[in-house]
Amino acid sequence: MFALESIFVEILLMIFSREEINAFLRNPQNTATIIGTLIAISGALLGTFLLLRGMSLTSDAISHTVLLGIVVAFMVMTSVFNLSPDTSSPWLIVGAALAGVATVVLTELIYRSGLVKQDAALGLAFPLLFAISIILVSRFVEDVHMDEDAVMVGEIGVAWANTNSHCIENCLTITITPDSDLAETSRQCTNCRELNISPRDEGAEFREICSNCGTYSPGQAWQAGLLEEEPILVFFPKSITVTAVMAIITVLFVTLFYKELKLASFDEALAKALGLRPGMLHYALMILVSLVAVGAFDAVGSILVIAFFIIPPAAAYLLTDRLSLMLLLSAIIGSLGAYFGYDLARGTFLIFFEISDMLAWLNNIFGLGLIEEWNSSISASMVMMIFFFFLLSWIFSPKYGLISTFIRRAGQKSQFEDQVVLAHIYNHRDMEDAREELTADTLHEHFSWSNAKMGRILTRLKTLNIIRVVDNIVELTEKGEQRVQHFRETRLASELA
Amino acid sequence: MFRLSDADKRVWLVIGTITIIGILFIPFSQMVLDVSYNYTLRTVALGGAILGIVSGVLGCFAVLRHESLMGDALSHAALPGVAIAFLLAGRELGALLIGAGIASWIGVQFIRTLLNTTRIKQDTAMGIVLAAWFAIGIALLAYIQSRSDASQAGLDTFIFGQAAAIVESDVQLISVVGFIAFAVLALFWKEFKLVTFDSEFAGANGFRVGFFNVLLSTLIVVAIVLGLQLAGVILMVGMLIAPGIAARQWTHKLDQMVILSAVFGAFAGGTGAILSAVDADIPTGPMIIVVAFAIVTISIAFAPGRGLVWTLLRRRGDRKRFAAQQTLRDLYKYAMSHGDTSYPVPDSFIVGIGGANVQLGLKQLEARGYVKGDGNTWRLTSTGATVAKDDAYNQQLWDVYREYSDELEIPLIAEDRQKDIHDMLPRPAVEKLERKLEGMVA
Repeated sequence: MFALESIFVEILLMIFSREEINAFLRNPQNTATIIGTLIAISGALLGTFLLLRGMSLTSDAISHTVLLGIVVAFMVMTSVFNLSPDTSSPWLIVGAALAGVATVVLTELIYRSGLVKQDAALGLAFPLLFAISIILVSRFVEDVHMDEDAVMVGEIGVAWANTNSHCIENCLTITITPDSDLAETSRQCTNCRELNISPRDEGAEFREICSNCGTYSPGQAWQAGLLEEEPILVFFPKSITVTAVMAIITVLFVTLFYKELKLASFDEALAKALGLRPGMLHYALMILVSLVAVGAFDAVGSILVIAFFIIPPAAAYLLTDRLSLMLLLSAIIGSLGAYFGYDLARGTFLIFFEISDMLAWLNNIFGLGLIEEWNSSISASMVMMIFFFFLLSWIFSPKYGLISTFIRRAGQKSQFEDQVVLAHIYNHRDMEDAREELTADTLHEHFSWSNAKMGRILTRLKTLNIIRVVDNIVELTEKGEQRVQHFRETRLASELA
Repeated sequence: MFRLSDADKRVWLVIGTITIIGILFIPFSQMVLDVSYNYTLRTVALGGAILGIVSGVLGCFAVLRHESLMGDALSHAALPGVAIAFLLAGRELGALLIGAGIASWIGVQFIRTLLNTTRIKQDTAMGIVLAAWFAIGIALLAYIQSRSDASQAGLDTFIFGQAAAIVESDVQLISVVGFIAFAVLALFWKEFKLVTFDSEFAGANGFRVGFFNVLLSTLIVVAIVLGLQLAGVILMVGMLIAPGIAARQWTHKLDQMVILSAVFGAFAGGTGAILSAVDADIPTGPMIIVVAFAIVTISIAFAPGRGLVWTLLRRRGDRKRFAAQQTLRDLYKYAMSHGDTSYPVPDSFIVGIGGANVQLGLKQLEARGYVKGDGNTWRLTSTGATVAKDDAYNQQLWDVYREYSDELEIPLIAEDRQKDIHDMLPRPAVEKLERKLEGMVA
């Protein structure tokens, strides 16, 4: 990870100066937005395929059960290998990926029994794994850094502070050994704990230990006052590296296997017949979802991350029918949500609107006594903005939006009414009962419609010059005649055939 | 006169057994597991059991309507309601529950609207509500936390569940609200049943499907909201559906399923709470889920008729029988081609053709005394030859039946070549077939 980060830094240094980079990344907003955008891109790309395969909620299950993988990997690390617990260790990531696959396998096992439906199988599998992980955490893991806030919302707001330092100039790595001049030694009691005696006791045995021995990176050495010249450092937030790697892997996966993914999502049988191994692809997808879930765990927490998987693709799904466009749109929507989400957390909704104004208004009207300053969770606000963009596309989508659907349905309704009335007139004109059936004032009775409704329809048809009323009898104009003929020849004929 | 069928008796037996095990578990836990029944544990165990009943009963409908994950979405969706209720009314359990209920309820309606107006599928719609509502809740909680005047202590319990915080008044509240929910369920039992199993038929018969759907989801929301304090947001879905899924394995009748699910739920809730008291470090909610899942596993494995264990055994038996039959036919055919039923068939030949299945079949046949082997060759015994001959004749009759059933005016039946045709067709019909066969041979 560190080596990769160095490459990032090198690339950035070609374009920007060191001061610019440090200043930019030290701004919490910039770092949070970058991390949010990277998570949004990986989530949106993978989520699109999850949505198309009808397994959106699998991301929900996986994001919960990666906890089990983390906990088990953590326990194995500390008790079997005696390693120091480190939350960014690759072992935790491996554990999380395995747990993600385990969830999918367990779900499929339950489902394959044929006794439980798919949704129920998922609903059984992940609470079980989550319950086990909670029991393990509270029973065996004493001092794990896993407080509830971190699980729920993550720490994207303080991600800028957790950095690796990369040295560019004056790079001296200092190693202090017990023999060197800088070594500070102290005495430590070797048998106090064993015998449960105080160091002042006569039986206590001591040995000399070095309290500051070890290897110091340039940054640490400067802080410890071991260097005369200040090293030139670039501070790079760890979370950006993790999420960037996830995003790069995801983008590569989707571009390399675009054709295969597309086929496997829309026609699994054909994909199988063509030898594309949709099963393998399925598990690869699940592993990636687990990786992104665990990568985003630190930043946005285990529950909110599923919003990045589910909502942007759903919004894009309402906007387009093309897979490539859907991938692009969902990545854009997710990124926009991440961008505006930071502002929302700090009280500004879409640049113009201040939340404190609304709170003040609420206080004035209802006398609630709410605090008027709005300062909230960044990750949750990002999700809220993504949801807002989803609402926008739901309402305004040109093809599937509420408004366009409403207009289309209204149009279909009036068209249907016109056709029924025209067909009625056409059938009864020049017949013996024409006077009874086609009297303008009583026409509505033959349809069991209200007089007002029929009046509206007749007015509409009259303005269109399709019918005319002569001597209180409705009859078709030449244009109306043509239209009925046309309808009978094309639409009715095709339906009868 | 009220009579029970065998299947009904079995279900009542299971219900009785679970109840007795549940009751016996209390002295067992006291003596063997050393659990001391203090006030807290009594309250939590009682609360867990009652909650198990409520969520077990209402969860049945979630399972049957393929809305199992609705529980997951709605328990998350309760959060903003909790936060707003806290802002308006403070830490008042009733208010928090009402807030939670309203927020989840709006969530349900949002999901239904999405499904009705767009092409988005149910799972995605639930995921959207889950994530978006939860985010709104988290944002509000963060805002509440930033207030200096109010401590938000206690709100976390809604997310992770904190059984130890349950007091007697909570149990009373759960019981009363649960009882009301049951009363509504009993009142509209017929309608709920119809809407659950065939809502199109219900609609065609003039039932107000929309209304009953909303009412049923409201009841499910009630169960979820009541359970949040004990199980927490994430585990609530397991609590809701696991008893129903387990109960579904034992019966095909809704009323039995609901009662069984209530018993399972009570068992999981009660024993889970007691087991978690064995060690102070074991959290209650997750333990209840583990017990519930154990019940599901046992049900899936051993439920009469459809249990996995029985299915596997049946399949193995079928495979053995099939292998034996097939091998017997092969041996008979080979022997007959040499004109002698006891003609020795070389082992390498018969195994070479059929492989592992033949070895399985030979073992079966040998055990039944139909064949005898001397290491290199296999011979039919006289019993074996008779059986094989009867079988061959039976197959020939079936062949004739397939070919000439129309011509001979024999009634159509489902053709099952594993069975003796004499058992399947009336005597005169078989005689016709036999005459036909004789005529063909001659």
